[in-house]
Amino acid sequence: MTSQVPDLWPPSAQEVVFLLLGVVALGSALLVVTTRQLVHAALWLVVCFGALAGGYLVLTAEFVAWVQVLIYVGAIVVLLLFGIMLTRAPIGRSAGLDSGNRVTAATVAVGTAAVLVTVVVQGFATAYTPLEPGGGAAATLGASIFRSWVLPFEALSVLLLAALIGAIVLSRTDIRPANPAADAGGPAAPTTPPHPPDPAPPPADGSGATAGETGSGRVSRDGG
Amino acid sequence: MEPAKIIEHSGGVIGVSWLLIALPLLGAAFLLLGGRKTDKFGHLLGVATAVASFVVGVLVFLQLLGFDPAERRRAVPLYDFIPGLTKMGLLVDPLSISFVLLITGVGSLIHIYSIGYMAHDPNRRRFFAYLNLFVAAMLLLVLADNYIGLYVGWEGVGLASYLLIGFWQHKPSAATAAKKAFIVNRVGDFGLAIAIFTIFTAFNTVSFAGVMESGADPSQGTLTAIGLLLLLGACGKSAQLPLQSWLLDAMEGPTPVSALIHAATMVTAGVYLVTRSGAMFFPEGSTAAIAVTIVGVATLLAGAIIGTAKDDIKKALAGSTMSQIGYMMLAAGIGPAGYAFAIAHLITHGFFKADMFLGAGSVMHGMNDEVDMRKYGGLRKVMPITFATFLVGYLAIIGFPLLSGYFTKDGIIESAMEYSSTLGWLAVLGAGITGFYMSRLVFMTFFGKKRWEADAHPHESPAVMTWPLIILSVGSIFLGGFLIVGNRFMTFLGPAVGQPEHLPSFHPFSVPGLVTLALVAAGAALAWFKYGAAEVPVTAPRGSFLTTFARRDLYGDALNEALFMRPGQWLTRLAVFFDNRGIDGLVNGIAAGIGGTSGRLRRVQTGFVRSYALSIFIGAAILVGAWFVVGNL
Amino acid sequence: MNGTIPAPTIEYALLAPMLVVFGAAIIGVLVEAFAPRYLRSAIHKPLTLLTLAGAFVITIWQARTGIPTTPSAMGAVAVDGPALFIWGTILVLAFVSVLLINDEGHFVASAAAVPGSAEEERALTEGATHTEVYPLVLFAVGGMLLFPAANDLLAMFVALEVMSLPLYLLCGLARRRRLLSQEAAVKYFLLGAFSSAFFLYGTALLYGYAGSVDLAKINTALGSVGGQDTLLYIGVAMLGVGLLFKIGAAPFQAWKPDVYQGSPTPITALMASGTLVAAFGALLRVFWVALGGLEWSWTPIMWGVAILTMVVGAILAITQTDIKRMLAYSSIAHGGFLLIGVVALGNNQQQNASALSALLFYLVAYGFTTVGAFAVVTTVRDAGGEAWHLSRWAGLGKRRPLVAVVFSLFLLAFAGIPLTSGFFGKYAVFQAAVAAGATPLVVVGVVSSAIAAFFYVRVIVLMFFSDPAADGPSVVIPGGTWAVGAVAVLATVVLGVFPQPVLDLAHTAAQSLFVR
Repeated sequence: MTSQVPDLWPPSAQEVVFLLLGVVALGSALLVVTTRQLVHAALWLVVCFGALAGGYLVLTAEFVAWVQVLIYVGAIVVLLLFGIMLTRAPIGRSAGLDSGNRVTAATVAVGTAAVLVTVVVQGFATAYTPLEPGGGAAATLGASIFRSWVLPFEALSVLLLAALIGAIVLSRTDIRPANPAADAGGPAAPTTPPHPPDPAPPPADGSGATAGETGSGRVSRDGG
Repeated sequence: MEPAKIIEHSGGVIGVSWLLIALPLLGAAFLLLGGRKTDKFGHLLGVATAVASFVVGVLVFLQLLGFDPAERRRAVPLYDFIPGLTKMGLLVDPLSISFVLLITGVGSLIHIYSIGYMAHDPNRRRFFAYLNLFVAAMLLLVLADNYIGLYVGWEGVGLASYLLIGFWQHKPSAATAAKKAFIVNRVGDFGLAIAIFTIFTAFNTVSFAGVMESGADPSQGTLTAIGLLLLLGACGKSAQLPLQSWLLDAMEGPTPVSALIHAATMVTAGVYLVTRSGAMFFPEGSTAAIAVTIVGVATLLAGAIIGTAKDDIKKALAGSTMSQIGYMMLAAGIGPAGYAFAIAHLITHGFFKADMFLGAGSVMHGMNDEVDMRKYGGLRKVMPITFATFLVGYLAIIGFPLLSGYFTKDGIIESAMEYSSTLGWLAVLGAGITGFYMSRLVFMTFFGKKRWEADAHPHESPAVMTWPLIILSVGSIFLGGFLIVGNRFMTFLGPAVGQPEHLPSFHPFSVPGLVTLALVAAGAALAWFKYGAAEVPVTAPRGSFLTTFARRDLYGDALNEALFMRPGQWLTRLAVFFDNRGIDGLVNGIAAGIGGTSGRLRRVQTGFVRSYALSIFIGAAILVGAWFVVGNL
Repeated sequence: MNGTIPAPTIEYALLAPMLVVFGAAIIGVLVEAFAPRYLRSAIHKPLTLLTLAGAFVITIWQARTGIPTTPSAMGAVAVDGPALFIWGTILVLAFVSVLLINDEGHFVASAAAVPGSAEEERALTEGATHTEVYPLVLFAVGGMLLFPAANDLLAMFVALEVMSLPLYLLCGLARRRRLLSQEAAVKYFLLGAFSSAFFLYGTALLYGYAGSVDLAKINTALGSVGGQDTLLYIGVAMLGVGLLFKIGAAPFQAWKPDVYQGSPTPITALMASGTLVAAFGALLRVFWVALGGLEWSWTPIMWGVAILTMVVGAILAITQTDIKRMLAYSSIAHGGFLLIGVVALGNNQQQNASALSALLFYLVAYGFTTVGAFAVVTTVRDAGGEAWHLSRWAGLGKRRPLVAVVFSLFLLAFAGIPLTSGFFGKYAVFQAAVAAGATPLVVVGVVSSAIAAFFYVRVIVLMFFSDPAADGPSVVIPGGTWAVGAVAVLATVVLGVFPQPVLDLAHTAAQSLFVR
């Protein structure tokens, strides 16, 4: 993968754009963790992801770039925003977003970054790969996914299915008894007539919110 | 004559002799796993497997008889037990087959008897499961061709014994007795385990054949140590001094258990162990062998003395069992001259003692489970069959001429005389005491005036209980003469354990024999005057110092308490101490920090997921760092 | 470019056990969607059991028809001797765990209801159940099958997630002590995700080093790529963190007690047996196939991890008062013993086979015993569910001798007392380690075994030599649990008395080694 390294100066337009995108990604990432407004954090995340997508684009991986936009910017951040709204988390400035462990956290983060940057620099300082158009195109990726990686790909679909079922298990509140009234053997069945599906079930997030209010072990021990 | 070589065998019934063990084992597994569903037929299944095992045993015996005497030691390899260490296999030879027939034969009879005895117990199925388990373990003990297999069986019978003594869990005394048996046996089992380790170190094998034929020549000290450790194991299992104390308490178990396990079979495992290892570790005149004879004589006297003072019919019989096993140990310590008598006495004792225990059970069955002989009396009229069969057992054990015990016990006394006259005369004395306490038991139970409790309505037991008694008493009459006269048993057993150069001849009128008879008669007469002709008080009178001594089991418990229990309690307390710390730690949170490393370490386990994540992170950092350091070395 | 992709070759026959399990899981989802509620349980139970049994039969059949020597499914999966052995083990253990799951009363009536709320009350009285548990278990088992067989790091990562995600969920579904259970699920999820990140980053760095995520190609690269050692070491270390987390090796063990304690006990049994087996299979594969040539560098580190794991597991177990936490620490300690076997892997072919077969045997022995132990834990119940506090077990030997004897047997097997399966497991692993020159490690292993024996015996003493409390727990043994106990006792005893067939089988499986 390593070929002759061309002169780095003067930088090409691509390199300049890539660097700028990198600065944007880094800066917005910092803002995500330093802003005191939860919604702002989510929005800064959009910028960060967008910058990353731009980076992919510059590296000719246009398919990955669009996937990044679609999935991360389009789906995940929106999901985050929904989560913020539905869990009645405070919108606006809130002091509670700052942890008391800032110093430790910063040390750990800087340390980790230092190690990883060192690794990448040491590992790839002399590596150079010329960009070829189409290297990250949908056709190449598709061929690779549906040929060499077909089994992990299928397994991933199974994973998503399992996650889906899990989400249903955790959120569904309209669970009826296993034995219907018709089953005379059922001990508790006759007393409860079969319910029609609730037209307006309690919001799926209700459990989370009330758990927070009742001060359940999970929330108290993990959050405070 | 040295024991014969062991030949690898395959084919025929002997080839499938593992069935002997497998049948009752399957029975036990089925009954235990089957649960309540098998309640209805559980007892029948239990009997069926025991009887089936007996039938296989007889077939194996017949095939074995078909071989030349020198080729009657047959090894049946089963599988590689511990790769490169030992193979698991069975050893079918005259010694083991004698035990097999005794265990399955008497075992089957006791299974049948239990159908009646346990008829009203809601847990009868479980009882039969345990009995089957016992039979399987005991058969493994005597059939294994190596010490580890023997040890498995040894622990197996211990487990079955524990479960059966404590079968009536609701009685605290039963639970305590079970515990006691368990703990005292641990001491013996520990000795056996260390003996096996030492054998392996010295011989690099644990199979009987391997030890016998190995070229290794360990020092005399090692051999003596192994012998003494084996003896310790034997003492635990066979209730010999100083580990005798559990047997009397073990009588808390249901009576068929006392008959099968604590009279006929399991308690004789020690004798088996000594006999089986005789040629290797108890050569004639060795320190270990002398120790065996001394333990035997001491126990035969101690057991007899305990027997004289007990009012509980089963405990009196238990004392007698100790005493009789003492005889067997004495004979086993003598060497080839004694082995045949030891095993012959073991077999006849299995019959007449089982007979008497079952008889006692029959009496208890009719007397509302009363065990105090002072509340019996005059039962011979209401329980004629029980009385008759018990009488046969009684006559056999005191050595009434021409009955089983006469031949086998006399053989032991004769060979002991030849070995050492002191030991011989002590054995004669023991026989005299036997005459006294057994007569006392019979007179108090079956003769004299009725001293029954008001609500007792004694009656003869059902046929399912009396028939086993009858069969056992027939054995008690004839078996001894059959085995001993003409040295039939000695020549049969010879290839397995070795036999003396000159076969002993049977003297009906030797001096020790006549003295024995006289002493026994005197003892019986004394008993008659004290307990047959005279009134027996319903409450035990305060006896002399000697009586108290005997009643308290010769202070065996007090001794054990000082030697084993106190240190044991100390250990328990230590454990409880740590235990409390642990529990307190959970409650107080802070106290945890005090309690040693563990308590301190567990504070890391805060329950906060962020701390866990940090610990993972730090761990990862350390790992990365370590890799880096090692990689760049 | 003509727009066509040549069809990949998938050896369906070879992957059949896995495909059957995944297929049945999807059928289970369909059952959830379309079958009437009162029928679901009746469909799921036989479906799940039959699937696992069928997959097991196929595995056996494959092992008999010949073991392939090349990776299948475009190099993603290697169905080799050890993989087949591990598959068989996992399938049997999963089958047994499902028998436990089948018994009533382990799972929450309505996961969405707030603990202690009126909704929960209503769901309980209505007798609601979560039948989704069955497809989730099958998904997890499918992941467990793929994990140790994955032949490249990407497939392995996907398998790791497929295995873990359903387990995260299942952990939170306990019927009793629900807050604890939910807490366990969240912890397991967060920490699991955290460790997965390590795994993935390690994969990325190794890809950077070797230019491939294929295990065999990484091994080839070890000899040819130079000057990128930093990438390699840190990549391997991070990969190691991800794998060691799954087996609960110190210092990545913190999740185990909390999660084992909080999960529904049948799920704990599945995790303690199946997940551990799968994770060890994957660990062995990575360290032997991909990093075999780097053995000189990871062996010392594994030494440290193994020692720390054994010591931490054994020492911390002593002060536990919750029976499930105690078993969790015991599981950590056993993870340490198994790591001794990993250290015993080396460059010598024969040495490798013997260490591998020892490990495989240990996994089988430990898996059965641990399922059995957790099965017993489910049977001893108080009014509020399982009697988790150790003091409640006092005097159980008097009240229910058989249960107490069975539990003691499992504890003795954990302690490695001769004539139980645990003894031969330890014996084989220690023997292999001594042969590989890791005697000091074995000494530490023996010492921690002795420490561990202390708390196992303490429980036995508590059960048999303490007086039972007047209001002691009751013992309820439903049919499935009966069967599980019986199977586990049988396995523990048979492997302890008659270990040769399984040792032989493990040896045959190990002889072919992992496809390299």
